[in-house]
Amino acid sequence: MRFLLRRLGFYLVAAWVALTLNFFLPRLIPGDPATALFARFRGKLAPEAMQALRETFGLSNAPLWKQYLTYLSHALRGDFGISVAYFPSPVVKVIGSGLVWTVFLAGSAVLISFVLGTLLGIAAAWWRRGWADSVLPPLLVFIGSLPYFWLAMVALYILGFTLRWFPLGHAYADDLTPAWTWEFIADVVHHAALPVGSVVIATMGGWLLSMRNTMITVMGSDFVNLARAKGLAPDRVVLRYAARNALLPSVTSLGMALGFVLGGSLLTEVVFSYPGQGYLLVQAVRTQDYPLMQGIFLVITLAVLGANWLVDVVVLWLDPRIRDSAS
Amino acid sequence: MRPCSFRAGLVILAASIALCGCTSRRVSLPRDVVVVSVEQQASWVRNFNPLTTATAPRWPTLAGIYEPLFVFNGITGKTIPWLATGSEWREGGRVLRLSTRSGVKWSDGRDFTASDVAFTFGLLKKFPALDRRAVWSFLDRVDVVSDSVVDFRFQRVFIPGADEVGAQQIVPQHTWKDVKDPITFANENPVATGPFTEIRTFQNQVYEVGRNPNYWQKGKPMIAALRFPAYPSNDRANMAMVFDEADWAGNFVPAIDRVYVSRAPKNHGYWFPPVGSMVFLYANTKRAPFDDPRVRKALSMAIDRDLLLDVALFHYSRAADATGLSDSYSPWRDSTAIAEGYWVKHDLVRASAMLDSAGFRKGPDGKRLLKNGTPWKYDVFVVSGWSDWVRAAQVIVRGLRELGIDANVRTYDFSAWFQRVQEGDFDLSLGWSFDGPTPYTFYRWLMSSSTVKPKGQASMGNWQRYGSDAADGALTAFERSSDPAEQKRLVSQMQHVFVAQAPAIPLYPGPSWAEYNMGRFDGFPSAKDPYADASPNKYDRGEVLLVLTNLRPKAGAR
Repeated sequence: MRFLLRRLGFYLVAAWVALTLNFFLPRLIPGDPATALFARFRGKLAPEAMQALRETFGLSNAPLWKQYLTYLSHALRGDFGISVAYFPSPVVKVIGSGLVWTVFLAGSAVLISFVLGTLLGIAAAWWRRGWADSVLPPLLVFIGSLPYFWLAMVALYILGFTLRWFPLGHAYADDLTPAWTWEFIADVVHHAALPVGSVVIATMGGWLLSMRNTMITVMGSDFVNLARAKGLAPDRVVLRYAARNALLPSVTSLGMALGFVLGGSLLTEVVFSYPGQGYLLVQAVRTQDYPLMQGIFLVITLAVLGANWLVDVVVLWLDPRIRDSAS
Repeated sequence: MRPCSFRAGLVILAASIALCGCTSRRVSLPRDVVVVSVEQQASWVRNFNPLTTATAPRWPTLAGIYEPLFVFNGITGKTIPWLATGSEWREGGRVLRLSTRSGVKWSDGRDFTASDVAFTFGLLKKFPALDRRAVWSFLDRVDVVSDSVVDFRFQRVFIPGADEVGAQQIVPQHTWKDVKDPITFANENPVATGPFTEIRTFQNQVYEVGRNPNYWQKGKPMIAALRFPAYPSNDRANMAMVFDEADWAGNFVPAIDRVYVSRAPKNHGYWFPPVGSMVFLYANTKRAPFDDPRVRKALSMAIDRDLLLDVALFHYSRAADATGLSDSYSPWRDSTAIAEGYWVKHDLVRASAMLDSAGFRKGPDGKRLLKNGTPWKYDVFVVSGWSDWVRAAQVIVRGLRELGIDANVRTYDFSAWFQRVQEGDFDLSLGWSFDGPTPYTFYRWLMSSSTVKPKGQASMGNWQRYGSDAADGALTAFERSSDPAEQKRLVSQMQHVFVAQAPAIPLYPGPSWAEYNMGRFDGFPSAKDPYADASPNKYDRGEVLLVLTNLRPKAGAR
């Protein structure tokens, strides 16, 4: 317990540092939201409108430290102000609309990729020199080494554009209203298949390889040999003895991957027109939407920290050695 | 678990993933709903406030839900009475009297009157953040004379102000008078006079605006609703057009004949009239040697505009003439001024001779030298990622090098670029023009001394910082003249000044992007039927209303 609390304290400090960086980094970019909005029009907006824009966004001329203090106190209350790109919606609302889809899309992609990759890794280690061991790893690593952007475009072009098996974008068909009906759920799954599938294909190789390699090391260790010598069933030896121990490094990286889910789904969302928060982030940076940027960065930071904390908990549960040294 | 069941589990898992993908379903819409792609957004935010400057791009709020007093048609150059039926200058041009249309109803059934107009302008005065066209910089007050007459009293005689007043969208007094903060008011359920006012559905991926039951033009609109799916990128929007998912778009499409038209030549159409903002090469006239008009003209002659259009723009536009006016100013163009403008023709020999005679000779190594002997070395600034500009700049640089100038393309992120250009911290840069219904706005931001800011101070427009007395005279006279013949003479005068002085180097007028699918709807403007601009992006002065009230479902369409 003390171990977890100590970790929690560390995360709080990290969160504060992130909040501070969040505030100062966007302000280092030259220009301001009014200029950025002006740019989008390429001359279609009269120069006179610039003053009106500045007034609208209430661009403050207060000293930076004062702005920083206001920002901190507002952030603690969960108030990130009004988005500029999606004026006049509050940032919290804008992020909320995208967050659900990103968590669903990227979360399920990482989990499926992890489960499949790990299972295949176990299989590869189990049947050494079988097909899972000799064909799959090089193939998946090859696919994974392609630029993801390109891979996603090709998948969209072939499966969506040419064969028309999958929709070209969005999270669900435009003529459906969100509801917990089978039709809607099936539609969401259909729309998610291509984006999730492409992420899974691209990232599975890593999970497979790391699991297989650790498995092989663990399978050669004494306690596994002992288990075999005791005459335990092979699947019990592999799954309960070897796999559980080989899983530890993978779980740690899963935590990292889950944390980066919120920031890393950007390319997927842009290619597949998925209404998530990765695209929001692009939009926010492009329009110099400080409040929205700060909000999204904070969500990402909190997600990374939260996921790490969860990993701490899980590892504690999986690995008795840490439990003992911690208490 | 036995090994075989483990293997079977994997197979089942893989199969179920594959199965998920095979339940394909086609979206079919009723044939009286037009699907439009205008902005690139990942998700929509429900906001139909026509006054907030920040949401200025939110189509169709500005022209569709709400309507302006007058609609300006950029193709014919005509101003069409819309919520107002006519205007009249009184007291020697100090008062603009507008008569408002009778029989117009708000979508909730209440009557539209002159007091709604006065109320709207009152809001702009009270909240300067809403005053996008800065009308209160020349207005003194707005008085309701009767239910259908409203007077705008000006601070001074300023005839072009009528265009800015006329372009204002009008909001209903009875619903807006209780709004505490009209700047952040989201106006989720608009009450308006436009052809489409009923929000039939609103989700973050798509929204639909239905026809106004009380629309003042009887029998219109002929389509039931407009539907807006959120497409986050240009590519995605183009794909929707190619697949007949969307009926109408205003996006850039590369090689459109091959990409779009050839897939369904009968139905897929486009029209890109060159009526948009002029793209200029701006030379900083506060820095030598660009303060010399001969130098600016020579630079212009070094540019192969034909090649530039080919490389940068798929030949979607035409080469600019020396007046810099786009086709939206056709009625104003003076053919004698255009004929005098020899300096937009690609002519390296003449350009080189002109620089020689201006005293800028080539050194022994072929490099052009300043009078003090230092070689010319200049960067052409462009915004990174604006690929048409970047390619145009590459063609320009190539031409300048042939004159012996060590020219290079320099890309900046938008904000950095904008800051440098505004502060006059550049030698050469690409840039746009500022346009209005008449060439007055255009030339004012190109050569009026009143728009020249002192050194170091940021300037919204007139980045080249050029002022001309001759132009000032014509521009000031234009502000005071409401006689069309006199106005035309003054604009001719401005064109002659521009051609003689070359304050900026015009490259090409930006095309107005419009792609449409005639499979389900008739009535899109085209080169054959140019009754208005076909682009859905023309909401600024209400032009798109002309199209919206003219679209009709095709008989016997699927």
